[in-house]
Amino acid sequence: MASFVPSSAETVEDQRLYTEERLVEVACLDCLASVRVKKNSEHQTSVQWSTEGRSHCQEFQRRGTGPGRRDLHKPCPRMMASIDDAVRAGDVPIGAYDGY
Amino acid sequence: MTDTRTLDQGNAPIRFARGWHCLGLAEDFRDGKPHPIEGFGTKLVVWADSQGELKVLDGFCRHMGGDLTQGEVKGDNIACPFHDWRWGGDGKCKEIPYARRVPLRARTQRYETAVRNGQLLIWNDPEGSAADHDLLPPELPDVMTDKYTPWSWHVKEINGSHCRELIDNVADMAHFYYVHFAFPTSFRNIFEGHTATQFMESKGRPDKGDGGYSGEDSMLRSEATYYGPSYMINWLEVDYKGFVTEVILINCHIPTGPESFRLQYGISVRKPEGLDEKSVDYIAEAYTKSFGDGFLQDVAIWENKVAVQNPLLCEEDGPVYQLRRWYEQFYTDVADIKPEMTDRFEFEVDTTKANEYWHAEVAENLARMAADGEHAHH
Repeated sequence: MASFVPSSAETVEDQRLYTEERLVEVACLDCLASVRVKKNSEHQTSVQWSTEGRSHCQEFQRRGTGPGRRDLHKPCPRMMASIDDAVRAGDVPIGAYDGY
Repeated sequence: MTDTRTLDQGNAPIRFARGWHCLGLAEDFRDGKPHPIEGFGTKLVVWADSQGELKVLDGFCRHMGGDLTQGEVKGDNIACPFHDWRWGGDGKCKEIPYARRVPLRARTQRYETAVRNGQLLIWNDPEGSAADHDLLPPELPDVMTDKYTPWSWHVKEINGSHCRELIDNVADMAHFYYVHFAFPTSFRNIFEGHTATQFMESKGRPDKGDGGYSGEDSMLRSEATYYGPSYMINWLEVDYKGFVTEVILINCHIPTGPESFRLQYGISVRKPEGLDEKSVDYIAEAYTKSFGDGFLQDVAIWENKVAVQNPLLCEEDGPVYQLRRWYEQFYTDVADIKPEMTDRFEFEVDTTKANEYWHAEVAENLARMAADGEHAHH
């Protein structure tokens, strides 16, 4: 059942632009996990995990899944390092198009 | 064809979110009386049974529509003021004193309850599923002991806005400068499963007086997580002139109608060691007032803005679209939840350009204020 129904097709296209456009796949250097990454600037990073990528991440597995575990909210340092590496190698372009 | 951008105001959902919703401090409902609470487009009745267990039903008797909130607690049940039908916390009519038997179909809408951190929560699901206790917010260690001040609890009715406006704040970096008078120096989000988190470090604006997040001498480290659609725990470390205080802020709401909600917030402060009770109470009150003022700053915006389904974002904005995608899961039948609504998403906002501009603007404001001050002297 739909909610917050957009009233125009352009809105649906905006949703795609902001959430899906220009994501680049980056694989972890230490495990089988991979994510999709976008960098609008040197300091901005978006990291989109998938259910599968998440299940491969050794760091997240170690942290467990107990409720109320605040460390669950922290990024995986190995994946962050892998992303930095990919950026240095020029695999992840830096810069936004038109706010996305 | 025109280049003019239009606002898509869309249509607000006709259903209310699935998940746990907080009704207030549990103790406040344990006085032996029925309590009315507006919620989910109706009125709910809350009472404590003879064991002190809190019970919540739809507030209107299924017999002839009497208002149960104006009835009486009789034993474990709530009795309707109209014809004395007695309803149990499980939603079944237990007794009709003037009748030989209770109709088999005498069942009303009940809400499963849980108490967390001294607060009463109820499970809402338009699909009617059993409550999922794994989705409850965590217990906060040491809160409700003498290490923390008791909850300072406040309620604010919001009319004319869908509660998603409140949720949008999770991803909204820049409003902290304009609405709450703070420089966010670091700002990150993580959305995953039923949780959405905002990490922020901020400094108060010296060109605005104290209150909310402002004030030159105040630095804030904030971690705020929504557990489900309506209940946020905000862990705050406030550094005021080198004096660090740990504050826990609960920010929760219950939708009352399609375009209205009741905002509730509670504050508990870790008592700094070596301070007397009076000073501790003073500090707790000061933070309660300052974060309360912060909500009022938001409310002034919500009451006058329009809904927008297609926000136009710049590079310095937070991930509003991803946040709303996450929020959508609570308005979708469980079978229709898409993986991207719950898949983990991390976002770091680049605050560099924003802080450059804001510091320059604040410096100008301070210079102007100083000049005005000198003029006033001459």
